[in-house]
Amino acid sequence: MKEISLSQIVPEVFSQREKKESGIWYREVAFTKGEVCLLEAVSGAGKSSLCSYLYGYRSDYQGTICFDGENIRNFSKTQWAELRRVSLSILFQELRLFQELTAWENILIKNNLTGYKTLQWIENCFYLLGIEDKKDVTVAKLSFGQQQRIAFVRALCQPFDFVFLDEPVSHLDINNNRILGELLAEEVKQQGAGVIVTSIGNPLNIKYDKIMQL
Amino acid sequence: MNLVWKLLRQHISKSQLTGFFVANLAGMFIVLLSVQVYSDLRPLFSGGESFLNKDYLILTKKINAFTSLAGNGSIFTPEEIEEIRRQSFVRKANGFTPSAFGVTAGIRMGGRGFATEMFFESVPDEYVDVNTTSWKFDATDRVIPIIIPRNYLNLYNFGFAQARNLPKLSEKIIGSMPLEVELRGEGKRQHFEGRIVGFSDRLNTILVPQQFMDWANQTFAPEKTIGFSRLIVEAGNPADPHIVHYFKGKNYETEDGKLDAGKTMWFLNMLTSSVIAVGLIICALSLYILMLSIYLLLQKNNVKLQNLLLIGYRTTQIARPYQNLTLVLNGIVFCIAMIAVFIMRHYYTNWLKEIWPDFTSGSTGFLFGMGVALFLLVSLLNITAIRVKINKL
Repeated sequence: MKEISLSQIVPEVFSQREKKESGIWYREVAFTKGEVCLLEAVSGAGKSSLCSYLYGYRSDYQGTICFDGENIRNFSKTQWAELRRVSLSILFQELRLFQELTAWENILIKNNLTGYKTLQWIENCFYLLGIEDKKDVTVAKLSFGQQQRIAFVRALCQPFDFVFLDEPVSHLDINNNRILGELLAEEVKQQGAGVIVTSIGNPLNIKYDKIMQL
Repeated sequence: MNLVWKLLRQHISKSQLTGFFVANLAGMFIVLLSVQVYSDLRPLFSGGESFLNKDYLILTKKINAFTSLAGNGSIFTPEEIEEIRRQSFVRKANGFTPSAFGVTAGIRMGGRGFATEMFFESVPDEYVDVNTTSWKFDATDRVIPIIIPRNYLNLYNFGFAQARNLPKLSEKIIGSMPLEVELRGEGKRQHFEGRIVGFSDRLNTILVPQQFMDWANQTFAPEKTIGFSRLIVEAGNPADPHIVHYFKGKNYETEDGKLDAGKTMWFLNMLTSSVIAVGLIICALSLYILMLSIYLLLQKNNVKLQNLLLIGYRTTQIARPYQNLTLVLNGIVFCIAMIAVFIMRHYYTNWLKEIWPDFTSGSTGFLFGMGVALFLLVSLLNITAIRVKINKL
């Protein structure tokens, strides 16, 4: 996939209220592969909604979203499953880790599906992110910051053309923020992928090509 | 362990699955057992006899106080026979020729023996459907083929043998056992060997070949005139209502050929189908329990299933663990039910063999067919229901 284009989209809940100045809503916007974008906004401006529309698990919006010109409303479940394995990756704001599984198993359940990363690479990530001692701890027992790092690793365990990171460093210190940024930059460079990062004021530390206000 | 299964088996209710398991096992067992009992019993009731065509009616006169006092009241006169032959629904009619001479028949078993006074009757060979090489008499080799009512054998097996602790006899054994037959009349006395070639549910008489009867009546009672007290009638259509009407008007009685075997068969069919229906209802209810349990499980694991879909799992991949679960459960139920049926069958065949020494068990093909069909049907319903439910996530 080369391009994600948004045409006149707005969440249905926003359509009733007065139009506010926005870099996305009611506009023609395109994200292209290879581009790193930052979406800045205050709380409640619809960042997570936008991610959920782009990732295909909500469709309560007006307007049209197209992947390479094809309206994503017409995609089947099978097509979405395929996209989520080879083309789109996401770090959910609410993480969506499996609380019953250990940190390690949470990564494997994704990597087993894609077979994309080596176990060694994953272990190295755990080490770099300072969570190598949490491998066998169930996620429910980890802090949100630790969980955020695990969800980040999971998001990298697949090939992608675009990756969405919804407030990826909201609970991380500057150092971890930097490491995440480096890991992502390396991955994006390798894959030539597009990145969309959202932030409410503490953005992921990476070089942005484009900064937009939501 | 498979991580997906590790996730999805959470919230599985063992008690609900046990409920399904037990109920489905009960239902399947009931269905399969009745199918097998039916297959085993059917030949016993339907095997019956084929000596007499079903379209033949056996006609007697009604016996009441008046006719029995009058002596010959039960005999059909030649005029009456002629009249019956003239009826449109009658193709042919002949009398049962009774023996006009004295008959004693005996049997000898392991030193003990018993003998009884008896009689013979015969009908023309064309009415008797038995292999002609055994159904003939030759005065020189002195062997008389005989067909006796099956009731006689039952009378012996369940009455006499039971009371005296004698061995029960199968039809085969009886057939190979020679009877000592003595014929008397006109001051003559001759010994023959009687051989039972068949058992009849329809004929309430001791039947011998016409050829023998003609010879014996000629030899031992040449002077006596013979009257027919029973007629065998071939009707074009035995269900023709005119027949009943005519016979009723004439005060004749027909011996209902379809009698016992037919009724028993009908009863067996009815019984089997009602029991199978009950079994199927139990199976259906158990299926309902399983579906409810799985729906509940899907509901409880809803978030996990959603998340699996969001990280790229296909619906088929997340449906599979639950489908496999039901397949394994159904498979185990199928195996246990089959084993249980075979164990039960072992016991009831032994028991049946005591009652009917001739009993041979029927085939198990129908059992396997039914078992596999039920297994496939239940599994298919499970698999489809789970897929539909997961697709709705």
